[in-house]
Amino acid sequence: MSLFKDIKALLLGFWTTGKHIFLRPLTIEYPEQKRTPFPRYRARIVLTRDPDGGERCVACYLCSAVCPAGCISMQAAGQADGRRYAAWFRINFSRCIFCGFCAEACPTMAIQMTPDYEICNRKIMELVYEKEELLIDGCGKEPEYNFYRHSGIGIVNPRGGNVDEEPPVDVRRLVP
Amino acid sequence: MIEAARKAGIVIPHFCYHPALGSAGACRLCAMKFLEGPVKGIQMSCMIPAQDGMVVSTTDSEAVQMRSLVIEWVMLNHPHDCPVCDEGGECQLQDYTVAGGHAIRRYKGKKRTHNNQYLGENIRHEMNRCIHCYRCVRFYQDFAGGDDFGVMGRANLIYFGRKDSGVLESPFSGNLVDICPTGVFTDKPARFRARYWDYDMAPSVCPHCSLGCNTVPMARYRELLKTTARFNDKVNGWFICDKGRFGNDRVNSPERPRYPLIDGERVGWDEALEALVRRVGEVTRQYGTESIALVGSPRMSLEGNLLLGQLAACVKAGLLSYFIGAAEGEASMAASLLVGEKSRSMAEVREADCIALFNCDLLEEGPMMALAVRQAWRNGAKIFLVGVSSPELKKLPFEFSAVDLIDEVPFAGCKSPVIICGTASADISAVRKAAGAPAGVTFLFNAPNSFAAAMLAVESQSPAVSEALAGGKIKAVIAFEADIPADLPVGVELLAVADWMPTDVGRKAGIFLPVTSHLEMDGTFINNEGRAQRFKKVMNPGLPIKGLDPLLHPPRVHGKTPQGGDVRPSWQVIASLIERFGGERVAEPLDGKWAALRNLDPEGEGTRIS
Ligand code: SF4
Ligand code: SF4
Ligand code: SF4
Ligand code: SF4
Ligand code: FES
Repeated sequence: MSLFKDIKALLLGFWTTGKHIFLRPLTIEYPEQKRTPFPRYRARIVLTRDPDGGERCVACYLCSAVCPAGCISMQAAGQADGRRYAAWFRINFSRCIFCGFCAEACPTMAIQMTPDYEICNRKIMELVYEKEELLIDGCGKEPEYNFYRHSGIGIVNPRGGNVDEEPPVDVRRLVP
Repeated sequence: MIEAARKAGIVIPHFCYHPALGSAGACRLCAMKFLEGPVKGIQMSCMIPAQDGMVVSTTDSEAVQMRSLVIEWVMLNHPHDCPVCDEGGECQLQDYTVAGGHAIRRYKGKKRTHNNQYLGENIRHEMNRCIHCYRCVRFYQDFAGGDDFGVMGRANLIYFGRKDSGVLESPFSGNLVDICPTGVFTDKPARFRARYWDYDMAPSVCPHCSLGCNTVPMARYRELLKTTARFNDKVNGWFICDKGRFGNDRVNSPERPRYPLIDGERVGWDEALEALVRRVGEVTRQYGTESIALVGSPRMSLEGNLLLGQLAACVKAGLLSYFIGAAEGEASMAASLLVGEKSRSMAEVREADCIALFNCDLLEEGPMMALAVRQAWRNGAKIFLVGVSSPELKKLPFEFSAVDLIDEVPFAGCKSPVIICGTASADISAVRKAAGAPAGVTFLFNAPNSFAAAMLAVESQSPAVSEALAGGKIKAVIAFEADIPADLPVGVELLAVADWMPTDVGRKAGIFLPVTSHLEMDGTFINNEGRAQRFKKVMNPGLPIKGLDPLLHPPRVHGKTPQGGDVRPSWQVIASLIERFGGERVAEPLDGKWAALRNLDPEGEGTRIS
């Protein structure tokens, strides 16, 4: 009996393999042929700008804190007008696992994942991207948001001048 | 109730309550459900004294809901600026907002805003973030006696600040940074520099005067960014002074020496130490070991100063000294000899009922002592200022009566009188007088480890450096972290200096050895009352990344030791010199009667040595 079973198993195997001769091939001839991933595919990370053209990243250190690979580092600094920005910002893509936690943690929509998955390199130091290489000239997936229009500290508008704010209180006023 | 719960290991959320400032009932966050006992229902636990028979629930659904509504209400006007707020990550409001589960804003109205004030170069004001807990005024006015900062307005207009923009006058103003549960007051020099989770920090001791207040210095990328207070009931309590908090520059100074030098040329450690041994040998052959002076320092750790004695024995040095000026040394030595049982801690000063300020400028020589005296004064103690009533004395934060002589102070009727006596004027008769009076004594010295240096000087009977140098016999001076005058007598042939600060005498030294500051090593200081306290290494030594070229950019090369990071604690340098001079290998600097200090808990209260 066992001999019969073995022959059946063998024929089934051949049949399964043979079927594929008549199916369309799934293999893609990379790199001649390239797939277009979905827009939410998580690959090369960029730093975006707000709709007014300013750098979105305020160097809050949340992405570097959440990063499980510990591959983001930066130094915050302040401009004369009080705007906080990253004096330098560095992602080590040789360590990044493209988990997307950084993009999720970012309170200003600055750091975003793009579908560009072709960033392999033989020289490890070239996988360490600096701010200049990360910063793009657009808003990425979030065309509307400008953090400073909601933050209440008066950078793009005077203090109390954002739509969701009252003008500053006059402490000496007598009217309630 | 809040304290009773804390003792039982239950944390009740709170903003306005603070152990040093008491309760105010202002924030409404500590709401608990009182189930049994004299009061019932939802009550503020900071306002109800704990009693027997009370049953209180922190998790009762009504209490939980009350607290989450309080948070939502507090957040109505809170700006949306955590990402650019320096308190973020160490903010009580953030923590309790997350804990209360408030994430979505339901209120659609507009937010109240305020204009900020300029409060000086140390503290940054951002009034939008205020939650009206009144901690700042209660600290500034009640606890610290400041009168240029307060609360103004009413209802929704309420404002915490000065009458007009201007530098805060209180020498304790920096504590606003610690005490405000939100980001209204933040440390300006550290503005935008780092987050709590990125700091290198460790329990440490303030090096700026002899009181030895407990601190937590916070550093990142080998740069000391800010210093915060650490609780020690026996010493500083909850707070520190502005000198201790904002005196961070000298550790970060770009002038700091980082490399061993022989006659100004950069060399390796082995080369420098060998050269030192060789040159000491040359001087010895010519003039005898009598001509060699070893100088310790009241700002060097106890470990270093102790080993210096062993090194002196090894080279049979003619002079082992810990003080520069004769008078300063004598006054400190006398003070350390005289205190013994009569020594009073800052905690005991806070409890005293009669305090005489003798021979000192309190806010100059030990600012936190003034705050301690103020607490005694608030509790009804009588304060006497002896001798001086000069207008140059900084404004003391308490009332006092001026008397001419220490004998006029009525100690007799008091239960716990204390004399606070300075040694800066190096007046030995004052020191003797203070020690002889029928009261406890607290001396103030000029450096964090003066007490230890004085003790060792007494033990080794050592005279001051200036005296010995004037004698003309000294031909070689080896100084560790000592502030010796740069114009040494002509006869001195060898000058070797080990220091972490750039000093004039260091620049003149034939052999220079760079050592670590107290933030880059473990060590021990003995404070003004004779309390040994351990400080831990906070950060790695080396040039701060910020100072490196290209500007603000960390290097893209890798190595085990950072640039300028090959510096060693003084005691290790002394230990290796001991070995090179033929002494025994030192495994543990605290030996003999000091061995008891080996396991000193850096987070404990310290140990009084007698
Ligand atoms: S994708 Fe993940 S691993 Fe990569 S930088 Fe972001 S948080 Fe780090
Ligand atoms: S989380 Fe966003 S804003 Fe914050 S540092 Fe990272 S990229 Fe910048
Ligand atoms: S400024 Fe800070 S400490 Fe003062 S009331 Fe407001 S939140 Fe409280
Ligand atoms: S009182 Fe002295 S030891 Fe205390 S924080 Fe101020 S300077 Fe430092
Ligand atoms: S801590 Fe009780 S009301 Fe604020």
